[in-house]
Amino acid sequence: MTARMPSLPAGENRRRLNIGLALVAIVVGIILPFGWPNGAPFIQDCAQALAYVVMALGLNIVVGFAGLLDLGYVAFFAIGAYMAGYFGSGFFDAINHQKGLHFLVGGTTAHLPGIHFNFIVILIIAAAVAALAGLIIGLPTLRLRGDYIAIVTLAFGEIIYIFAVNGDSIVIGGQPLTAGRQGISPVDPIDLPIVGRFGLLDLRPWYWFALALVVIVLFVNLRLRDSRLGRAWVALREDEVAAVAMGIPAVKTKLQAYATGAAFGGIAGAFLGSFLNTVNADQFQFYFSILVLGMVILGGLGSIWGVVLGAIVLSFINSWFIPDVLSTIPGKLGSTFDVTQITFGIYGFLLVVIMILRPQGLLPERRHKLELAEHDENDDSVATANESFYTAQA
Amino acid sequence: MSALQAPTPPPSLANPAILEATDITKQFGGLTAVSDVSFTLPERSIVSIIGPNGAGKTTFFNILTGFYKPTLGRITFAGQTITRSRPDVVMKAGMARTFQNIRLFATMTAAENVMIGEHSGMRAGIFGSIVRTPRVRREERETLEKAHAELEYVGIPARLHDHLAINLSYGDQRRVEIARALASDPKVLLLDEPTAGMNPQESAQLTEFMRKLRAERGLTILLIEHDMKVVMGVSERLTVLDHGEKIAEGLPAEVRANPRVVEAYLGRSASVEG
Amino acid sequence: MEAASIPAQQSFSVERLRGLISKYGIIILLLAGPIAFAVIDLSDQGNLVRLGDNLVAGVSNGAIWGLVAIGYTLVYGIVELINFAHGDVFMIGSFVSASFFVSIGLHQGQEVFVLFVGLVLTLVIAMFACGALNSMIERVAYRPLRTAPKLAPLITAVGFSFLLQNVGLLWKTGSQQSIPDLINAQHTLATIFGVQIQNSAVLAIAVTIPLLLLMTTFISRSRLGKAMRATAQDPEAARLMGINVDTTISLTFAIGGMLAGAAGLIYALFQTTIWYFQGFTGGLIAFTAAVMGGIGNLRGAVLGGLIIGCIQQISDNRIGTSWTPAVVFGYLILIMVFKPTGLLGEQTRDAG
Repeated sequence: MTARMPSLPAGENRRRLNIGLALVAIVVGIILPFGWPNGAPFIQDCAQALAYVVMALGLNIVVGFAGLLDLGYVAFFAIGAYMAGYFGSGFFDAINHQKGLHFLVGGTTAHLPGIHFNFIVILIIAAAVAALAGLIIGLPTLRLRGDYIAIVTLAFGEIIYIFAVNGDSIVIGGQPLTAGRQGISPVDPIDLPIVGRFGLLDLRPWYWFALALVVIVLFVNLRLRDSRLGRAWVALREDEVAAVAMGIPAVKTKLQAYATGAAFGGIAGAFLGSFLNTVNADQFQFYFSILVLGMVILGGLGSIWGVVLGAIVLSFINSWFIPDVLSTIPGKLGSTFDVTQITFGIYGFLLVVIMILRPQGLLPERRHKLELAEHDENDDSVATANESFYTAQA
Repeated sequence: MSALQAPTPPPSLANPAILEATDITKQFGGLTAVSDVSFTLPERSIVSIIGPNGAGKTTFFNILTGFYKPTLGRITFAGQTITRSRPDVVMKAGMARTFQNIRLFATMTAAENVMIGEHSGMRAGIFGSIVRTPRVRREERETLEKAHAELEYVGIPARLHDHLAINLSYGDQRRVEIARALASDPKVLLLDEPTAGMNPQESAQLTEFMRKLRAERGLTILLIEHDMKVVMGVSERLTVLDHGEKIAEGLPAEVRANPRVVEAYLGRSASVEG
Repeated sequence: MEAASIPAQQSFSVERLRGLISKYGIIILLLAGPIAFAVIDLSDQGNLVRLGDNLVAGVSNGAIWGLVAIGYTLVYGIVELINFAHGDVFMIGSFVSASFFVSIGLHQGQEVFVLFVGLVLTLVIAMFACGALNSMIERVAYRPLRTAPKLAPLITAVGFSFLLQNVGLLWKTGSQQSIPDLINAQHTLATIFGVQIQNSAVLAIAVTIPLLLLMTTFISRSRLGKAMRATAQDPEAARLMGINVDTTISLTFAIGGMLAGAAGLIYALFQTTIWYFQGFTGGLIAFTAAVMGGIGNLRGAVLGGLIIGCIQQISDNRIGTSWTPAVVFGYLILIMVFKPTGLLGEQTRDAG
């Protein structure tokens, strides 16, 4: 039995503990960058990791909660980034007789050619367009089985990549669709009222903005998980036949998962577009989809906190451990081997190892429930057979 | 037939039909699984569909509940046509079911499983779920309370409500599945071989429970069953399927003595001696 | 109360319409492109030579994809899993072939006999290596996860795909590598109706058709083939009948790998370039072919390959090579939406 404080019931006690921990974490998160000089690569890595946390949480809704294997999540990153590129840069320089289109922006930006919207507006646009894309991508997959969903979403992701690469040759009315591999650059930095415009060297505001995004997205995730919709997603994942028999509308519920997950990807994508100051096609390759998927799996499919951890771990392995730590090892052994050359080989190896050794991830979903069950007296369980529903005989 | 008076049909059979299936045929490519079966389900009755293996009983169930679309035929439920409706629409109309192989949601607790049953009666949407207005909060609370209530109603003690469903005993899992179906306040409960894997004592408890459900909650119950004791004990009417066709229908005692039925189960020679 | 039969007339015809679209829609879709271009060609140049060239190249390219697709379809038929690493096994096949025949001293312009023997040897080596590789992948990535949810082996397969790609990257660097044009791939052997038939086309067809016939005979006649079909239909029943399911699955993967290896060699000779990334795109193209033909169906896999090859060629020639993958993926999505069972669709174990 869990230890109890004398006056409060266990559930309420745990809630207070969780809120306390959350507050501590937020405070630590806020003061973290002060431990490093401003502009330090570490802060850059942290801000990027936070953006990846948002991505991973989005993918977690699709793959973790609803069980829809999406291998084309990069599509939403691309869409969000291109929204930042379209509505926050000089890309559409011919618009409005080269005077530009501006909305809620101030300072020098308000006079630049191109479309320049306030970043919060861009975030909203990114979320909405990405959600719409999620619906479009999800729709064909609805009647397909798991592995086929993977292939179709992968195909969509690749198609978007190809459009991103070749978009510079699709010209409508003198305006190309994308800037291909060159990329749309520069992208407007975030500019908020009171706080002002984010600089290129002062990384802390970016970090805090990303932290704020994470807090909001986490909040939304936690609320959804413990709601009617969250339960419906898990039911669909566990046993679609039974879920549908219990009145859950499969199409609508799945589309809601796709749209919500996509919206988060779009938001993170828009942030990264502005943060990295470029939107170029090379950012949107298949590898990225697998990177985010790896974060979700490493953390634990369906586990919100696990996914946060997985995203942070993998992001740092990608941006720090491999280039800055591992790459020094060959030098010490007297070799000129370039470790970054085997980045995705290491990554592939990691995926294989995780799935074989610990498929439930670092912080598995429902671990406390499972642990409870292990101490259960009533353990004469009979595993439910999840057989194929469609037998030709009665 | 014996020299005694012909048995009087139970009054419930005279009730208006809550479910009517007319001339249902289902073909899978070249195979005809169900052939021209018509079936009415009187309100507040307890009725069974029986037949040897491969007779088409589960296929018929699946057609009634919307998992298969019939090739021919028509189904109405409480006046509403549901012939080609999706399973979740059928459920919302008022028909809830259980499965031959228990299909509980493995990573959910018993209570959460039952809450799924209440899904279609709840109203919280995506934005309501995120914002958690007082109305949504109240709905969640009431849904949870009802889940606990249904679990207790089927006989699951409170201490097990928050256990993972798959960690419960087989008998308890069956109960949870029924509680989940009941949570949607259905008018009709379809049970697919509910006593599979049960010992006689448990089966007797379940049949008692079915009567209780009908009496206390006004439910109509449609069973597929193999256990003849259960069938004969609780059914007010039997429908017999064989090779996708309806070969007999009537009171249990009548059907049991029907030579065609005996033949279907035991083979030709048995009925000749019959 | 209802006396007469009341068939559900109205909804029946919607079903029928949907069935018709499903059945013929895809054929119409596939023919639309070529027919449109045929019309354009006729009005532009007065003949169909360009389209003919496209189709010849398409069929020969497609034969290679067909071989790879057979591997996919065999494996899918038996374990109901898309072997994501299959395309990269094909890539390794190309690499092994190219390295081997260069190291044994084959070069352009040698006597036909020497080339022939050398290439047959290379074929054997490539097939062996890839068969072993695919088997090893099954052992490491799939077998331990047989009872795990379908997501798990898919992820390990993706992991292996990355590993193999990295091997390729380290082996031959990230850029495309030219290799000796041993068979004079571009040499025109014959011209029929103005359409050129090149060495490469003949090679591709000459190797694929026999291999396909060999495979289909093998599957339908041999003991292993029967064991494979039985296991694909119902592994439990097969086990009860005394079939060693594990070995059968391993051997199926091995055969799939061997075919991918053969395809790798042909591709290397055909394209005269190899690239570590060819497996990723190639794998997806071959998978599209397998699905188009009907997953689980061998003839379908080859048919799908030929069709996809033609689509690729027409797209390369008319729209531009950089857009071709998008075209192929577009077809993939359309097939999955309208006819996931494919042209020669076969029912796999679960009806879906």
